[in-house]
Amino acid sequence: MADAAVAQPAAKALSCPNCGGTVTLRAAGYSVTVACEYCASILDVSQPEVRLVTRYNEKASRLAIPLGTRGTLDGTEWEVVGWMARDDSGYPWEEFLLFNPYHGYRWLIEQRGGWSFGEQLTRTPEGSWGGLKVDGESYKPFFADGTARVTDVVGEFYWRVKRGDTVRTDDWVRPGAMLSREADGKEVNWSRSRWVPAATIAAAFGVAAGGKPWPPLPHQPSPALPFVKGGIVIAILAFLALLVGASITGGGRSLWNGSIAIAADGRDQQATVGPIELTRPYQRVRVSADVPALSNGWVDLDYTLVDRKNQASYTASKAAERYTGRDSDGDWSEGDQTAGADFAALPAGTYDLVIDYKGNNWVDPNKSSGNFWDPGAGEQTPDWRRDAVQPQVNISVRSRGGAGGGVFVLMLILIVLPLGAGFLIHARFEGARRGESDFASGGDDG
Amino acid sequence: MLTLPCPNCGAPVTFRSPALPNRVCDHCRSMLVRSDAGVGIAGQGAALPFDVSPIQIGTRGRFDGRAFEVIGRVRWSWDDGSWNEWLCLFEGGAHGWLGEAMGDFMMTFERPLAEVRSAELDRIARGAPALPGRKAEIDGEELAIADARQVSCIAAEGELPFTALPGWTIYSVDLKAASGRAASLQREGDEAWFYDGRYVTLAELSANNLRAIEGWTMPRYG
Repeated sequence: MADAAVAQPAAKALSCPNCGGTVTLRAAGYSVTVACEYCASILDVSQPEVRLVTRYNEKASRLAIPLGTRGTLDGTEWEVVGWMARDDSGYPWEEFLLFNPYHGYRWLIEQRGGWSFGEQLTRTPEGSWGGLKVDGESYKPFFADGTARVTDVVGEFYWRVKRGDTVRTDDWVRPGAMLSREADGKEVNWSRSRWVPAATIAAAFGVAAGGKPWPPLPHQPSPALPFVKGGIVIAILAFLALLVGASITGGGRSLWNGSIAIAADGRDQQATVGPIELTRPYQRVRVSADVPALSNGWVDLDYTLVDRKNQASYTASKAAERYTGRDSDGDWSEGDQTAGADFAALPAGTYDLVIDYKGNNWVDPNKSSGNFWDPGAGEQTPDWRRDAVQPQVNISVRSRGGAGGGVFVLMLILIVLPLGAGFLIHARFEGARRGESDFASGGDDG
Repeated sequence: MLTLPCPNCGAPVTFRSPALPNRVCDHCRSMLVRSDAGVGIAGQGAALPFDVSPIQIGTRGRFDGRAFEVIGRVRWSWDDGSWNEWLCLFEGGAHGWLGEAMGDFMMTFERPLAEVRSAELDRIARGAPALPGRKAEIDGEELAIADARQVSCIAAEGELPFTALPGWTIYSVDLKAASGRAASLQREGDEAWFYDGRYVTLAELSANNLRAIEGWTMPRYG
């Protein structure tokens, strides 16, 4: 037994039978074809003796990532061993074949400055042509019935490759990944490639960072999508915060509180209270009335807010009413002793509140109340206005906070506008991305 | 376990199991055969060509919960390349083959064709050509013929269940299912063998005692 501890050499040197250049074989035992990196001749390395397949005497293409370059992606180191330029009817791209003896082969694919990291699948995707599934991820059709032609080749490959080789291709995508089927007369291969930010490839392989491909790559995730998603979350949180804030501030600032007395005889009354100072350009104002003594009666309440400066007036009204009684079903009550009236948008200014009001008592017509000629003869009718303590209306004037216009306008500017812009960018990106698809016209969600 | 001197060069050679009667002498590469009469020489093996396979004799791992050790290998070639079949000896004496091609691995086990009962495979076993793309149903699962070709033994090492001399040529048919299941049928004359299994990764096998390759970090699995 040879020393097991001695590491096996990783590469083997060959001499190109055409130009004599020293060609390094980095995947010995796997590689079948080598395209000489000096003269571009195609060599057969499947047998111990290197054989010249196609002679070229040209300077081999300079690669963006030279053969032998190593880079680490997701913690695994890869070495560039081969390179192919391919084209589908004027739509070119480049593929770098990566190798690690412990992890096999992968692909680094460059198109219009965008990069993808691909691997051959040992399983066949499930599903039909309308949509495929691999590892629980769904893919939708994007390109159909393409023809990929090899236009240039450098380095070593595990199959026989030459310029002009063609395969039939079909592709499916999902955001961030593409599924490709390549078929020649003899076999069908499936591969999956994941989109990788150009900066990641630049850092790993020292290649100059690519530009921003436009139109985007078929499987390139929309750059605006995380922003839009984040924006929607922020908008929802902000809205909830506004609601919570509004409930904590209890409808905003108190502007005036006080009471007005209700006459026992139920005549029309008027009170003028104030001043009420409104400071914001526009605000909602609520006038709330509470009549604690109210029982089987109602109070008509008409409010007029008058701007002291220009006598502009705004009106609102809301009656407070409350009835109780007893019938065959037991005690009942209806209405509420409190009533609120809203002014939608009052301009800033100093206001007086003019309250026209009238306390009313309700008499049950079904109840006997004596004879018309002798009202006092029957049961004494109760009248809440005649209680020992003179009833009064407690008035409270508040500006409505939180949901007030200013905050909403601010929210609109800070959240909704950028979100809308994000949506537009996203829509434009997706439109351009889908525009490339063979299913662009028919698909509504391709 | 039986250790004897190589009848050709005298170096000690070990046979682990009567089920694996063949052994390539590590020293002189003679293909030895063990029988009741002793150890004979079946022919001369060839040196293995240089490759960067991460597997070596002595690599260990687990497949479906069973531990195995790699004890032999046959290197095969066809028109468009070559690949390794590593013989794995499992606990309890069973053996399987860890196929290594294009950087992918698959573990397969021999199964009697009679048990498989596939009309398509029976047809091929009787001498019909295998046509890529045609389907064969095995245990209710559909497998497609991926390729079919003449393959030749280049070299072998370690212990083996058969005599594999350089130049030995057989007809080999690969089948694949969508699930990652992989199978092959091998035919020589009117004899045929069937192997059934699936694609695996070294990580999934918790492979250890891998071959050290200069300049590359050996992964640690398990």
